[in-house]
Amino acid sequence: MTISALLSQYGDRYLQALFETWKLTVFSFAGAFLIGILITVMRVSPIKPLRVFGDFYVQIFRNIPGAALLILLVYALPYLKIVFAYRVCVLIATTLIPSAFCSEHLMSGINTISPGQIEAARALGLSFFQMIRRVIIPQALRSTVLPMTNLLVATMLTTSLGSQVPLRPMELTGIVSYINTRSAGGVAAFAISAALYCATALLIGFAGSLIDRKVRILR
Amino acid sequence: MIQKDTPIIELKNVNKFFGNLHVLKDISLQVHKGEVVVIIGPSGSGKSTLCRTINRLETINSGEILIEGVQIPEEGKELAALRSQIGMVFQSFNLFAHMSILDNMTLAPVDVLKMKRKDARAEAMRLLERVGVADQANKVPSQLSGGQQQRAAIARALAMHPKAMLFDEPTSALDPEMIGEVLNVMTELAAEGMTMLIVTHEMNFARRVANRVILMDGGCIVEESEPDTFFSDPQTDRAKLFLNSLNK
Ligand SMILES: Nc1ncnc2c1ncn2[C@@H]1O[C@H](COP(=O)(O)OP(=O)(O)O)[C@@H](O)[C@H]1O
Ligand SMILES: [Mg+2]
Repeated sequence: MTISALLSQYGDRYLQALFETWKLTVFSFAGAFLIGILITVMRVSPIKPLRVFGDFYVQIFRNIPGAALLILLVYALPYLKIVFAYRVCVLIATTLIPSAFCSEHLMSGINTISPGQIEAARALGLSFFQMIRRVIIPQALRSTVLPMTNLLVATMLTTSLGSQVPLRPMELTGIVSYINTRSAGGVAAFAISAALYCATALLIGFAGSLIDRKVRILR
Repeated sequence: MIQKDTPIIELKNVNKFFGNLHVLKDISLQVHKGEVVVIIGPSGSGKSTLCRTINRLETINSGEILIEGVQIPEEGKELAALRSQIGMVFQSFNLFAHMSILDNMTLAPVDVLKMKRKDARAEAMRLLERVGVADQANKVPSQLSGGQQQRAAIARALAMHPKAMLFDEPTSALDPEMIGEVLNVMTELAAEGMTMLIVTHEMNFARRVANRVILMDGGCIVEESEPDTFFSDPQTDRAKLFLNSLNK
């Protein structure tokens, strides 16, 4: 089938799938961001068990393949009498893995802060959390806009894990198999999804560099 | 110098090690209200470490450090509260890079002292005016010269209404033409009665402003006297040697 034929027949479904991909991406990234910050605070905290836990967490989720994590969530957890809906399993996988990378980016952002600023904050009487909130996290965030932008794109691509379980509505990768089992869409069916992924990534990249230029810290 | 009132800062037989390195050796020292004490000495003699133990940026291995007669707390809220009462000015300014000068000034007064933002801003502007950088209030630190940054850093410390201020080589990172403007601010502070402990290599400043000069070497206080005595009639051989090395 040609691309135009596919679009006229399945255009609505592609659009629906695009929104589904966006939705999964936004929820996953928001979750990954919050967890990433939390894990990072643990990793720089003065309490050793928290630091150890944070490092351990990052090692696990940075190194586990997304498909493996999803299989564990879908097939292994039920043995522990924990059963999540497919959509929840996908969201957990697409949140936990990026959260580890988010923390890694934040740690490298923290390394750009001169130790003298931390000493100044302590000397002024700021508590650990005041220092985290007002001095450390803001600077870490502002110096990692571009890596975070890349992470957002990577998160979007990770949501294609959703094609491995029966999701309704389907996301952009799942829709391709759906179409190809019905009509012989072939490569063209893939090309449409790929174009939609690319367009989204370009938009994200553009927004990211705008934000970066705005918040970058002059040194 | 004999005074009956409790010293603002008092160190009693303080010892500090970095691993096996004995950096502070049985240091005892008092700084009274309104006094300006200048610490000089060769690099590596422990001057910075001494300064930093006073607000517990460094812990000590033995001895006591008292602020207005009260031992400094080991950690937590009490320690933070104590630190907020002692201003510290660093060699490398250490302004928060992501904030305007004004926000640098109001952060701790608002977050730590719970001042109203409006009041904190008004006070910040008054202090910036006083150190001569009010016109830079809305810039970020990297847009200021070193001298302006250091004056802003002094103002930031003053905004906490400290009982005493510690200066660790405040002019050592500055281009020569900017040293004067920072020393002038410090001279004014001294004249207004601020209690100050200052590590510096600026001997003329020490001579003019200090009530007492302390020479450190190898982690010990080797001489402690009034500036006139110290510079014209040093008592120890070590002090004579040090002063000679400066004149070369
Ligand atoms: N964090 C540290 N760890 C190990 N050694 C240190 C540390 N800080 C300072 N020292 C050592 O302690 C000694 C005194 O240092 P310092 O107080 O900075 O001296 P000064 O300020 O007089 O130059 C030096 O030998 C220095 O190398
Ligand atoms: Mg030093």
